[in-house]
Amino acid sequence: MSKGFLKSRWKVFLIFLAVIGPGIITSNVDNDAGGIATYSIAGAHFGYSFLWSLIPITLVLIIIQEMSARMGVVSGKGLSDLIREKFGVKTTFYLLSALVLTNFGNTIAEFAGVASAMGIFGISTYLSMPLCSLLVWLLVVKGSYKSVEKVFLVACFFYITYIISGFIANPDWNLVGKSLLSPKFSFNPASISMLVGLVGTTIAPWMQFYLQSAIVEKNVKLKNYKYSQIDVITGSFVVNIVAFFIIVVCAATLFSQGIKINSASEAALALAPLAGKYCSYLFAFGLLNASLFAASILPLSTAYVVCEGMGWENGVNKKFSEAPQFYLLYSLLVFVGAGVILIPRLPLFYIMFLTQVLNGMLLPFVLIFILFLINDKRIMGKYTNKVWFNVIAWITAAVMLALSVILLYSIIF
Amino acid sequence: MKKASLKMFFFLTEIINHRVVDSRGEVVGKIRDLKAVLGELFPKVVSICIQKKSRGGPKNKKEIFEIGWDNVKTINQNIIKLKEDVGDDLKPLKTEKNHILLKDEILDKQVVDTFGAKVERVNDVHLLLAEGELRLVHVDIGIRGILRRLKWTGWVDGITNWLFAYQIRDKLISWKYIQPAAPDPQRKELKLNVTLRKLNEIHPSDLADIIEELDGQGRTAVFKSLDLQTAAETLEEVDPKLQISLIEEHTEDKASDILEEMAPDEAVDLLLSLPDEKKEKLFREMDKGKKERLMELLKFVEGTAGAIMTIEYLSINQSKTIKDALEKFKKTTDPLETTSYIYLTDDEEKLAGVLTLRHLIFNPPDTILSSIMKKELIKLSIEDDTNTIADAFKKYKFMALPVVDRNDRLKGIITLRDAVDAKFPEFED
Repeated sequence: MSKGFLKSRWKVFLIFLAVIGPGIITSNVDNDAGGIATYSIAGAHFGYSFLWSLIPITLVLIIIQEMSARMGVVSGKGLSDLIREKFGVKTTFYLLSALVLTNFGNTIAEFAGVASAMGIFGISTYLSMPLCSLLVWLLVVKGSYKSVEKVFLVACFFYITYIISGFIANPDWNLVGKSLLSPKFSFNPASISMLVGLVGTTIAPWMQFYLQSAIVEKNVKLKNYKYSQIDVITGSFVVNIVAFFIIVVCAATLFSQGIKINSASEAALALAPLAGKYCSYLFAFGLLNASLFAASILPLSTAYVVCEGMGWENGVNKKFSEAPQFYLLYSLLVFVGAGVILIPRLPLFYIMFLTQVLNGMLLPFVLIFILFLINDKRIMGKYTNKVWFNVIAWITAAVMLALSVILLYSIIF
Repeated sequence: MKKASLKMFFFLTEIINHRVVDSRGEVVGKIRDLKAVLGELFPKVVSICIQKKSRGGPKNKKEIFEIGWDNVKTINQNIIKLKEDVGDDLKPLKTEKNHILLKDEILDKQVVDTFGAKVERVNDVHLLLAEGELRLVHVDIGIRGILRRLKWTGWVDGITNWLFAYQIRDKLISWKYIQPAAPDPQRKELKLNVTLRKLNEIHPSDLADIIEELDGQGRTAVFKSLDLQTAAETLEEVDPKLQISLIEEHTEDKASDILEEMAPDEAVDLLLSLPDEKKEKLFREMDKGKKERLMELLKFVEGTAGAIMTIEYLSINQSKTIKDALEKFKKTTDPLETTSYIYLTDDEEKLAGVLTLRHLIFNPPDTILSSIMKKELIKLSIEDDTNTIADAFKKYKFMALPVVDRNDRLKGIITLRDAVDAKFPEFED
């Protein structure tokens, strides 16, 4: 009997391995250059006082991603596919245009992250940009979905550098624990925009598209859906654990010394005298890994989603002649995204600013589309949202909408 | 503008959401869809589907009603006029098995272009109004269809004309080659169109590509609509990950029928990746002979000659004549690549020699096979690994090589193609 039990345990584990990937990868790409910068700033400027926000953020992330995953498994279609079939070509076209623009901005931000992390290791931007963009491009164009996913899963592992640097920084764990469990918030503009920034960087519009497509690509069966759920929940926890350690590192070192920073690379540099060279290097390596990782996924997912919605052939297993739009869009995003960084005196700050505005504007729409689609019986059958889940989901969407409005307001005025 | 006297083309999206007006000039509602009957090359529209103008009544505003085509007086890009006054008693929309809703089931959905053997997404549906009948004639799959729906044709044409003296053209595919891929929502099966080229007539490798391209439900529906043999041949070609999910969609008896039709080595590969209970259930449904042969193959270690080989080959006792061999050849339905050689065995089933088809044709029918057979044989052993197999093919350049067990008994053959697939798994994609 115990042998049978072991065998069935083993089988469950094997199925789980076959199903995992999408959720964990999506969540980790989420900790990209922009994410690391935001968490670093939150730690450096506000100490441990924002740690508590990671708990509700994790919950919201799980709620939203679970819906995307469920739609992928039940309908076997990508999000842009579903939007196209339900809302027609016009809506799809404008939504996807906004997504392409936003993701182009995000891609530039990732390459900027790569450039500054490489800079810390003393590598010139003029060398790192061509090399890294080519590396990213080749990985996706020449690799198969399976091999690409493996590389991505390995990249996920490297986020451990932040956890290690968290221990090197030697924080006051007592205080960390207290801050995590006791929500405190002061209603001043700086705190509000920090909170909005934290939420906005963790829950981005592209994720929902990417996650759903990746799940469809995996061809997960309904009976194995529970493993996808585990995948998504694990991913959501991992992303916030990494965020937690980044905040802790910066709070324990930079905040206590009153050092102000503006980006993740500044944080890495500022860490050297306080927590030692290795902590600084680990931090920079984490940034490099995260930026490269996101720089390969963002353009890929964008090209994928656009072709899916417009009905063009797509996928990394197609030849260029079979899927020209897919490869063109992907290549443009990668090479132009990296090329922009080489422009001397680039107003990078304004590009980031515009990207943030677009991200913030797009997200509520995407959430509303998701909620309409997931409650459509013709698509989801009996797997539509339960009433209580719907209430939570709509409240989440409303809160996100409100936060986006606040974010826009705070950026513009 | 009587509908009977007119012959004109228009697109579905040009009339969708237009007002429907009755004989008194009263607005009845908005046109939401068209219902056509499948069964002819160019399906006839039988009714228009409308959503009633809300007259304050809050109850079920979303309900769709239908008005028979007989009652339509004028239909064009501006307005739809009815012959009579329909009043409040409209029939709710009902769809039968052979009915298709043009917007709901075709527009923006995936379809299979059976002529080009490709999956396309429909940007618009092209209709022809002639002799009082409205028929579905083309689907639009081009960029122009998208531009039209964005209402961008004007300025895009302006720019392309100005720059290149060129205009993006419509890309239409005749409906007679189109098979909708969205399954019937109630019956979960494909609504079969009368196409000039049937799905079953598409080459299995193309069908495999089509199935990979379709989304989940379309994929299953298309696969289920194939006949046994086509389904088996297609299944051999699709990505292994998809193979499993496709076979699992079928009931056990249908699934085992398909497995029986597949080449045994491919069927075994598929069986190996299924969970044990599923495998057993499938075996239970299979006929005995086939089952035993597959069971035999299942025993071999992956990556060895035993696992790669196929058991579809021609063998005959060496004491028989050419006439007997030809008789046997005539009866076989195995693919040509597995019958390029005829293997000869002695009374103990041991491999004794080989002949090619040419030998059979150019020698008199009563020749005893052993007198003309080639006795110097290159053989593989059941335990040989892929590298040894590849080396043998590289060195001797045969189309196929026999596989024998320890006692030199013939067990199967490996074709060049199987050897390539085994050595370079990426070729299989």
